[in-house]
Amino acid sequence: MKLKNDIYHLLKSAIADFKRNKIRTFLTSLGITIGVLSVVLLIALGLGLRNYISEQFEGLGANLIMVMAGSGFGGGDDGGGFSGPAGMFGSTVEFDERDVSSLRRVQEIEYVVPVYFKSLSIEAEENEEVGYVMGVNDEFFDLMNSDMLEGKEFDKSDLQGRTKVAVLGYTLSEDLFGEAEDGAGRTIRIDNMRLKVIGVFEKTGDSEMDKSAVIPYTTTFASLNPDKTFWSIYLGVASEDEVEAASEKAEEALLRRYKEDEFSLTEQSEILSTINSIFAVLNAILVAIGSISLLVGGIGIMNIMYATVTERTKEIGIRRAIGATKQDILTQFLTESVVLSILGGLVGLLLSVLIVLGIRVFFPAAINAVAVIIAIGVSSFIGIFFGVFPAKRAANLPPIVAIKYE
Amino acid sequence: MISLKNVSKTYLLGEEEVKAVSNLSMEVKAGEYVSILGPSGCGKSTLMYMIGLLDIPTSGKITIDGKDASKLEDDELSKIRNEKIGFVFQSFNLINKFSVWENVLLPAKYTKKKLDFDPEKKAEELLKQFGIWERKDFFPNKISGGQQQRVAIARALIMNPTVILADEPTGNLDMKTGHEILDLLDDLNKKLKVTIVLITHELDIAKRTKRRITMRDGEIVGRTK
Repeated sequence: MKLKNDIYHLLKSAIADFKRNKIRTFLTSLGITIGVLSVVLLIALGLGLRNYISEQFEGLGANLIMVMAGSGFGGGDDGGGFSGPAGMFGSTVEFDERDVSSLRRVQEIEYVVPVYFKSLSIEAEENEEVGYVMGVNDEFFDLMNSDMLEGKEFDKSDLQGRTKVAVLGYTLSEDLFGEAEDGAGRTIRIDNMRLKVIGVFEKTGDSEMDKSAVIPYTTTFASLNPDKTFWSIYLGVASEDEVEAASEKAEEALLRRYKEDEFSLTEQSEILSTINSIFAVLNAILVAIGSISLLVGGIGIMNIMYATVTERTKEIGIRRAIGATKQDILTQFLTESVVLSILGGLVGLLLSVLIVLGIRVFFPAAINAVAVIIAIGVSSFIGIFFGVFPAKRAANLPPIVAIKYE
Repeated sequence: MISLKNVSKTYLLGEEEVKAVSNLSMEVKAGEYVSILGPSGCGKSTLMYMIGLLDIPTSGKITIDGKDASKLEDDELSKIRNEKIGFVFQSFNLINKFSVWENVLLPAKYTKKKLDFDPEKKAEELLKQFGIWERKDFFPNKISGGQQQRVAIARALIMNPTVILADEPTGNLDMKTGHEILDLLDDLNKKLKVTIVLITHELDIAKRTKRRITMRDGEIVGRTK
């Protein structure tokens, strides 16, 4: 009861003072508001960027292993980042149907999908768009868990018959036909080959996938891909626990034909963890940059608190005369700086939530618990850290000097 | 109850030492009404601040209720100021951002002991007694000087102090209001047996008290019985 009373009195005293100096209070806490705003927003944007990039990869499914020519992404002994698909970057090997059948013999692997991939101009009746042509087999649809917006996927008989059919990504269909739904049943032309659109995918969020025309890989053999080669092979593993074993066996199978540095196997989880570690560093840098403005805000509070102490020397003297201890005075001024800075911090947090909600319409920015804790924790820390020196000066004023001050 | 023994206070003004109070001894007994009379600069305010434990003597001993103030820590001095001393200043020294009610109650916020009375009830009594109960929610700068000084006296009395130290309490008031305040102090001493030390430079005011101490140049130059 006594404690509650004391806190109430302290807060009341602080607020009474803020009311007398509205503009100054506003400007001082604005410093903290801007500091918190910049830290929280930078974290939110960093997270957003990570989410955005993760989404691109997660769309491919968690139990996926990508076999690529060259040293691949993230993995590989040379740790060489993204060296790109063969063909595009002039790698030496290309996979063919023999590799597909040897990988099929690995027990843990459920799906083997050869991937022919090329960026091409895709024509419809009136429109022409640059999109991606993906030549795959029917297992691709199971591996990707793809959902159909309209129509159906192609099946084994289409592969055997080398039928000229295509399933379009959402965006590609939308760009070519106005409405994505309108694609099914129409005809497109790729490299002088007429293909019937038998289905349209739901939007996946993966910009490459949404811009693709997926066709039977055998159909590409006609003119697009006379060498019958693939720049990558996707492997689907039945359960997540077997990814490691499957990856090793797949590597063994390929080593019989290729040298170690001619291909790479990349697990989906590996890519995600690489992305996460890159963004952890990026986020730390962003927080450090944002913290500079918090520091400046804190110095602003310190500055104002020193001015306040000088201005209220007489008040300090009066309080000391009627029995306030040094500790009482210290607590009083510390409360003011903490309230001032938490006030600024909360406004900053509120503003950043609003801004992030606005940004989210087109970018997956996010506010997480860390951002909230930083906002509140750091602003109270700043209030204490930058408030303690002025408050100490107030507490250590000799009562006689303070009471005589005019 | 309050005793000063060979108390001196020296200030350093640049290179020069200035003796504000020199080798002064006096005593104030419970229930007394004493005035300290002297021209400005005679050291009477310094004396009051030392009795009120806001200032520390350069040498000598001040005892309040048997406690030697020179041996006390800052926190203990604060505690004695809070519980045993009530200040009334020339310029009232109320805190302007607090209402009359909050100003009167402020000393009770700083007490570290459990009070054997309800400070709010006491504040109500005092404000009613001084005729300023209707002003309790006003801020100090919205009431007259006389009313402000009554608030200050109520604040000085809220903790039932051993002594009231009044430093030129009428200095900022007109003659009529000043007399009302002095009548109030007279009353407090007569009816409630409050110990009062009144500091003034006017003989007329000092004459109201039962005992008079006259100071000049930091020394006592005259005492009445």
